[in-house]
Amino acid sequence: MLTLETIDLNGIQSFYALSNRLNLNNVIPNKVTFWKLRNNNPLRKSYVTNNIKLNEFDALIRITVEMSKYLYPYIREILKSKEDIKANSVIWNDFNKRFIELIKERFNIDSLRVKKILNQAENEEIIIKSLLILSFCISNQGYQKLKNFLYDF
Amino acid sequence: MMQNKLSFHQSSTSLEIIGLPDYSNNENKDQISIISQWKLTIIDKPLIEGKIEHLGPIMNAFYIYSNLLIKNKMPIYESKLIDIKADNLYIHNIVLKSSKPNVKPLVLKIGNSLLSDTINCFDQLNDSPNVRIRKTDVSNYIPKKGRFGLNKKVKFFNFFIPPFIAICSLILFSSSFIYFYSPFENIEIKKRLNPE
Repeated sequence: MLTLETIDLNGIQSFYALSNRLNLNNVIPNKVTFWKLRNNNPLRKSYVTNNIKLNEFDALIRITVEMSKYLYPYIREILKSKEDIKANSVIWNDFNKRFIELIKERFNIDSLRVKKILNQAENEEIIIKSLLILSFCISNQGYQKLKNFLYDF
Repeated sequence: MMQNKLSFHQSSTSLEIIGLPDYSNNENKDQISIISQWKLTIIDKPLIEGKIEHLGPIMNAFYIYSNLLIKNKMPIYESKLIDIKADNLYIHNIVLKSSKPNVKPLVLKIGNSLLSDTINCFDQLNDSPNVRIRKTDVSNYIPKKGRFGLNKKVKFFNFFIPPFIAICSLILFSSSFIYFYSPFENIEIKKRLNPE
């Protein structure tokens, strides 16, 4: 989700609008619930063990897949920019810069795993794989695919 | 007889399926169940086409490779018909081997963007209600390594946690009834019974 938020500057609002469109209001009634669910990530500064429920986990996956469909042209362009870095270095560099800014803002930077993500020499693989996972999950079967990828991570 | 043609597009890639409906099965005239030809067009790359028996293995190859790509740094997929290998994290080398003798294999280099376009074209084909092909269950494919890991973890917990909890609760419960022998207390009782 953070990768998608890196692309869409107004990401939180878009996630919430999508949850309404997907009729997930009973699971995610407001933005605070959204924030609480996302805080189940142990890498976050504001990590809280809320014990995320299965329907909440499913809702987050559905929103991520739907958002990836809308942002596919951008995801594709970022992936392409890395294939020919001399021609398109601006797109990749901008994305990487904003991604790191978001990580610094929201994640616990003392964690070793977060330090690895922040290290520009090492984070390429993590970013590319995240973008690839999102780009592979834009079909109607995207929900199941993303779920499988996450269980396997 | 006019053949039906269906196209699936995703950015720089398009997949064309040509075939006929199965009238013996009372199918709609727009349906394609008997595929006679397919073409995969990737912009700036040679055209890929083949028989119906080649479509399934090629789709499977792409699906399996995409899963391996997420898991491994340098994934390799090899088969009689197609080899896919990662040159690096961004470029993938595809070798398509012809079933006809004396035909040189077709070598393509595609980036991550074209790979995801191709996968999405195959997904659209799988989702399409107008084409009946043997649906690949690869989209739900979890690499063996991962599946094994997941089961192993679950099995480990299922096997060890219940007896561990049982033993701990037994120790806790029985510790409340523990009796420590105290020799002084025993002497006192004896003295009370025999005051001499």
